[in-house]
Amino acid sequence: MSGSSDEALRRAERLVRWYPKGWRSHYGDEFAELLAADIFERPRSWRRDADVLKSGLVARLTTVGLSGHALEPLDQVRTSLVTLGCAAAVFLAFGMAMWAQLTIGWQWAEPNTRGTFAAMVVMCASVLVLFVVMALAAVPIAGKVVTLAVHRRAKGLVRPSMLFVAGLGVLVLGARHFANGWPGTGGHPWFHQGLVPGGVAAFTWASTLSVSSYWAHPGALGSFPIGEVTWMAVSPVAMVCLVVGAAKTARRLDLSPRVLGYESCLAHVAALGMAVFLAGSCSWIFDGGSGPQNLFHPGAIDVAEVLAMTAALAVAFRATHRAHRDGLAFLTG
Amino acid sequence: MIEGSFGRYAGPATLILSSLADGPKHGYALTKDIEAFAGVRLAPGTLYEALSRLDGQGLIEALESDDRRRPYRLTAAGAAALRSHLATQRRVVDLGLRRLAGSWGTA
Repeated sequence: MSGSSDEALRRAERLVRWYPKGWRSHYGDEFAELLAADIFERPRSWRRDADVLKSGLVARLTTVGLSGHALEPLDQVRTSLVTLGCAAAVFLAFGMAMWAQLTIGWQWAEPNTRGTFAAMVVMCASVLVLFVVMALAAVPIAGKVVTLAVHRRAKGLVRPSMLFVAGLGVLVLGARHFANGWPGTGGHPWFHQGLVPGGVAAFTWASTLSVSSYWAHPGALGSFPIGEVTWMAVSPVAMVCLVVGAAKTARRLDLSPRVLGYESCLAHVAALGMAVFLAGSCSWIFDGGSGPQNLFHPGAIDVAEVLAMTAALAVAFRATHRAHRDGLAFLTG
Repeated sequence: MIEGSFGRYAGPATLILSSLADGPKHGYALTKDIEAFAGVRLAPGTLYEALSRLDGQGLIEALESDDRRRPYRLTAAGAAALRSHLATQRRVVDLGLRRLAGSWGTA
């Protein structure tokens, strides 16, 4: 093989890495060969490179059940629901950071506008709905995992389950520690001053401490206690472990169509709950008022959180739609 | 069935199935054959996006190969799907040509 065809093959193999692992194991070698031949014939072609990027993205979206390419119906429902769960986790990470900031503000003073008051009531109600839905969704999954573990048939579930438990453990212990460490949020007894108990607000604040504009201000961040900065760096890793562990566990479970139907109904409620929460957030952003003394003054980080939540909600709606259209509708005729 | 199966990917799918109708081919041979009979050069990404979709739908299947280049062949379902799709296309072509001839005359 000549030097230029070697170079073409190396470039082709680099491009193929953009495709997901499962796709590569099936089509990777032959696709690299074709790509290398194309690169050899047309060394510079931005159209080809863009085409590879686009089709690689489609392959990635297909593996998470979001592309127009339907998977086998049961797999489509399971994959789409797992994707919805991941989107909901991203939504909650940003949403809870915003919500914690507002509920802590309310521990000290009532919202200064009707719009903010209404937004907070709406957000609190939707948070409650979302956590109830999460608990209901977790019941059959946890039940199945426990049943398989009791019958010693949970071999493929051990590592993801341990990852989930480790992530959850670190998040709960760390958030408990830091929630109690700050007197402003430390669960003082002024329950009547807000919709949410101070301890809950403090725990939520501590668990989402990493969602912060201080990352853009290293000088200010440097004045924080080292333990707090470490927690800001560690807590997102714990969240990722928790979500990845839960997603892998759910994906590997052989859930029945009936359970998947139940989970799909909850998915619709969750997507609706997220939409309501987002509407409340937007209402607060537009009506929060201004001024450094205003505890409910929205900042640039809050706008960024709304944008992240909007993107996560779009993915959640798409996943819910795919689970229903290409999975459940097919299974139920 | 055919529109639902191919959807907005009807173009590459039709070209690939038509190319495989006269025998198995690997990716590079498919590209060259399609370029020769349709004047269209399918980019590698688009070709494999369509190939993996058709493979998943059971309209084509991969053959064993010692080479890195794996050939594909049409399945019976693929042949039926192509036949049905081309019959629909032919009806559209015939109708369009008849209407053109009626309103604009023959060229």
